[in-house]
Amino acid sequence: MQAASNSNERVALGALFFGFLQVGLSAFGGGLVWLHRLVVERRSWLDDGEFAELLSFCQLMPGPNIAGLTVCIGSKLRGLSGALAALSGYLVMPWAVGLGLGTLYLHYADIAVLGHILGGVSAAAAGLVIATGLRLLAGRGRRSADLVFAALAFCGITFVHLPLFLVLAGLAPLGIAAAAFASHRTR
Amino acid sequence: MTAPPASFLLSAHLALLSLISFGGVPSVLADIHNFVVTRHGWLSDREFADYFGLVQAIPGPNMILMMGFIGWKVGGLGGAVAGAAAIFGPSCTVTYGAYRLWDRFRLSPWQTVVRRGLAPLTIGLVIAGGFVMARAADHDGPSAALTLAALVLMLATRLNPLLILAAGGVVGGLDLL
Repeated sequence: MQAASNSNERVALGALFFGFLQVGLSAFGGGLVWLHRLVVERRSWLDDGEFAELLSFCQLMPGPNIAGLTVCIGSKLRGLSGALAALSGYLVMPWAVGLGLGTLYLHYADIAVLGHILGGVSAAAAGLVIATGLRLLAGRGRRSADLVFAALAFCGITFVHLPLFLVLAGLAPLGIAAAAFASHRTR
Repeated sequence: MTAPPASFLLSAHLALLSLISFGGVPSVLADIHNFVVTRHGWLSDREFADYFGLVQAIPGPNMILMMGFIGWKVGGLGGAVAGAAAIFGPSCTVTYGAYRLWDRFRLSPWQTVVRRGLAPLTIGLVIAGGFVMARAADHDGPSAALTLAALVLMLATRLNPLLILAAGGVVGGLDLL
């Protein structure tokens, strides 16, 4: 499952810019669904394992996570220029469009039907995020320790309502210890 | 309200939060609320909540857009650009530097173990994030069914997810939820 990416084949900067532009323009309910679709499913720039590992690195970093992930993916594929191409694609135009749309929406916010439409979109978007998480989980094969730790992190947020950083800080040492134990045993 | 010092104060505060918001911007949202609503009175409570709801409904970088709206309220277009840049600029710079360092030790055994150990946690957090969104959006049976249908379609078909979202919008717009 953990195939190395073919990093010899250079990704064009333009492909990065326009790929991430598309992500920014379609990213309803957070960019993760769209980022995974672009980078793993459509372009095969990274595999599921590499994507999940980059994502966990970025979750440990401060600031907007998807912007950080965009920087890391761009940097992994094409260094600093790749990071800049990906980040500017993801941010500049989508941000300007969003500001315009939002201003319009604030003017017409009392139109009930718009609220209903957005309610339907949000409900569907939640399903897409869960599906992307399940795909990432499936991409890791069937290691039971992975399932246990994914479940623990899930429960910490969903049922115990712990802050995200606390969940990570509490479970990370255990998860790393389990991975160390597993790799020691297989050696 | 449009005095430059306000925009500057806002941007400086956001730049600081950008560097310490481990776990993402939502982890410091309460502090931002405290700063712009309670302490400086630049926005009303209602406006802050409106902006938050608004950016969920718009595709793109949610939190960076929200800081844009707050910045706009505080100092017009310049304030919007400054507020947005302040929330992602510092953190992206740090992330880039840290990633370069991290990548240099990519092949060392300890890092392989750390990456393997962290990835499942991250995946659990992604799924939890979806659940939190679902809990906010699904207030009755039909909307929960819509979430479930979107999930199944996403997993079982190669449909463009935009089509799934559009279908959700149509179902919602026809007032079927």
